[in-house]
Amino acid sequence: MAQTEAPPVVAPATPSDRTSFTALLWQGGTLLALVVLVILFGALQPDAFLSFGNVRNILAQIAILAIIASAQTVVMVVGDFDLSVGVTATLAGATAAALMIDGWSIPLAIVAALVVGTLVGVVNGILVAYMNLSAFVATLATLTSVGGLAFIVTDGTTLFGMPESFEVIGQGRPLGLPLPIFFAVIVCVVVWLVLKFTTIGRRWYAVGGSAEVARLSGVNVRLARFLAFTVAGFVSAIGGIILVSRLASASATSANNYMLLAVAAVFLGMTVLRSGAANVGGTLVGVGIIGVMSNGLNIVGVSAYFQQVFTGLIIIAAVTLSALKSRSH
Amino acid sequence: MSTALDSSAVEVAPALEAVGVSKHFDGVFALNGAQLSVQPGEIHALLGENGAGKSTLIKVVTGLYAPDEGQIRRNGETVAFANVRAAHGAGVVALYQELSIVPTVSVAENILLGAETPSRGGVVSWGRLNKRAGEQLARLNQRIPLKKLAGELSPVQQTMVAVARALATDARVLILDEPTAALTDTEITDLFTVLRRLRDEGVAIVYVSHRLEEVFELCDRLTVMRNGETIVTRTIAETNIDEVISTMVGRPHGLMYPARDTATSEVVIEVDGLTGSRVQDVSFRAHAGEVLGVGGLAGSGRSELLRLLAGAQKQTSGDITVAGNTLRHAGGVGRALEAGIALVPEERRSQGVILGDSIQDNIAVANIPTVSRAGWVNNRAIARIARSALSDLQIKARGPRQAVGQLSGGNQQKVVLAKMLSRKPKVLLMDEPTRGIDVGTKAEIYRLIRRLAASGTTVIAVSSELPELIGMSDRILIMHQGRISGEVQAADADEEILLSYAYGRTA
Repeated sequence: MAQTEAPPVVAPATPSDRTSFTALLWQGGTLLALVVLVILFGALQPDAFLSFGNVRNILAQIAILAIIASAQTVVMVVGDFDLSVGVTATLAGATAAALMIDGWSIPLAIVAALVVGTLVGVVNGILVAYMNLSAFVATLATLTSVGGLAFIVTDGTTLFGMPESFEVIGQGRPLGLPLPIFFAVIVCVVVWLVLKFTTIGRRWYAVGGSAEVARLSGVNVRLARFLAFTVAGFVSAIGGIILVSRLASASATSANNYMLLAVAAVFLGMTVLRSGAANVGGTLVGVGIIGVMSNGLNIVGVSAYFQQVFTGLIIIAAVTLSALKSRSH
Repeated sequence: MSTALDSSAVEVAPALEAVGVSKHFDGVFALNGAQLSVQPGEIHALLGENGAGKSTLIKVVTGLYAPDEGQIRRNGETVAFANVRAAHGAGVVALYQELSIVPTVSVAENILLGAETPSRGGVVSWGRLNKRAGEQLARLNQRIPLKKLAGELSPVQQTMVAVARALATDARVLILDEPTAALTDTEITDLFTVLRRLRDEGVAIVYVSHRLEEVFELCDRLTVMRNGETIVTRTIAETNIDEVISTMVGRPHGLMYPARDTATSEVVIEVDGLTGSRVQDVSFRAHAGEVLGVGGLAGSGRSELLRLLAGAQKQTSGDITVAGNTLRHAGGVGRALEAGIALVPEERRSQGVILGDSIQDNIAVANIPTVSRAGWVNNRAIARIARSALSDLQIKARGPRQAVGQLSGGNQQKVVLAKMLSRKPKVLLMDEPTRGIDVGTKAEIYRLIRRLAASGTTVIAVSSELPELIGMSDRILIMHQGRISGEVQAADADEEILLSYAYGRTA
């Protein structure tokens, strides 16, 4: 009975998963693009681009994008995405500013802003996870409404006159480095730890891999998706507060642009992993590419309009390459 | 050799021929030198167990897959179909049960979907379209309202529409994959009349079915496949059902299944009046060490019963008691797992495994609560569980980090099993435990099921294959329209009695 005549079922190693040089190139392609960009701009404008001041500048510029992109990473790990991360950051920042101008204490205003951001996430989570709206429709709706709330909170004007000690958050320079960089590192490390080592992180990845498999394996899929949106709202609010502090002012649209850049960064980052899943490390590579390109093109003297064109092209290139990669498997 | 064919058919070149066709995926052979030769004007059955390579062969001859080796010949000429359109152009069309019609457009449009739409200056001329569609239906002697939405038709009418569409694109080789699965007896008779008529017009028909009685009623010749190879081609007159079955299985019946000697009298799970979608008032008990088979036709509620037990589907009333704990209104899969009920679901690729993830990560999904403390996952514990699963279940893989999508179907199924067994269930539910698995791994799964039973686990397994149901179970429940219509000891069961229960005839 043991000697069935079935043929050998599995060949010892399939050619497709031997790590060849080309495979490595595919895999590391996005990281390579970052390195190439740095070398390119370094060669074009060695004095301006590679100076300590400019590197510090780039880091300061991408710190807030890194925070909002890690919020987007969490949502994209579960296989959804969130169009409202930018406006949520805007609304949170505006809330903090308005309350402080009204005379609230700094800590209380910050807590209130974090609560507001989290609530937006809660609403998104309920709509997507419990009312079965598609993430696109749900977050497009909150994008619109929350954007409107930001105008109401700011009265359509630019708010300033926050206490000077609040501005330390965005403008402080311990060890000569802008404080937002430290916040970005903390947020990214925490998100990374949560995704990699906690039960909710495991559940998020499982839901993103296959919601049905996860459900049939005992994962509470609705709760997992709800929590992902909630966390994204909270983390976006952190980004919004730091931005307002750095600018020392709050407008009704201050952080809105970060949404598309954050999606772009996560997409770029998804090409780094073989499985094509969203991940914090990859997202940071994506954030780096966007930051270096924007800063480098600026220094070389290319207009901001062209920068936007290039960002789109880079996303197309990276995602096309990773699609080719997965097809070859 | 072909007494059943008229002599003219034998002299002409085969309408469709596959010669020495091989195809493998990720190092696993799906086809290994397969042969098939179909004459114009014959109905040729393609038989074999699930995973024997029938579907892959069909996909190769219809241009969905390119063969790694071997040739496809059409009327004696070697062809290489780049895609399904190319195969259509050469008159080779396959009809699949579910994907064949577009439910939201009219019957007439469905029939002319692949053909050129009659139009004047880009505007559809509905008169000509309906006329031409009507002609195709008339050829089949069918009266189906042309303007009705195809989704509103009965299953047999939908099949007829699909056949009419194939004829509209001038199909000369028609491949039907399990066309009768959803049909009633009279509908099957209608379909057979149409197929015989097409055969007499000279169409070559390849007929894939698990229903051997139908094959012997309808077909002229048959080809049996096993493990990706063609075992034999015979005229119907030369052979009989028993011979075909043993050819398909590749060994005399019975040897594949281990002895039943493990059942005890200790009740582990008691189900009382369980009701939910498609399941009506089901009550039964199952014992430690028992393998309880559940059979019934597709749609009888057998899969839904397992899903209710596993908490994957909402129950509306009834009690499930496991080892003394009553699970009222099973609170989701997580709660059922805690209570000791685990489900190996029916659709491995969409419900069982995350194909892009590693073996280890797949096993981890069901174990998150058991390998964590205060929200932190012990990754080393997961790796340990995965490594021991690889050796316990003899999963053929390079290591726990290999992606599940690269494994063969049988090994993927073992990963699903490993995932659920790592929760040490008291009751293991398995829906179609060996679907799409090669014969060798099948036997391993049967031994594994018996080993689990020997260690006191209760196994409840749904199968649509009657020999499997009889061979692996101690006792068999048959369902009909959501209710249990019969119960038999497997040792006393034969296919006939199971089928009569499945059709709701109480013996």
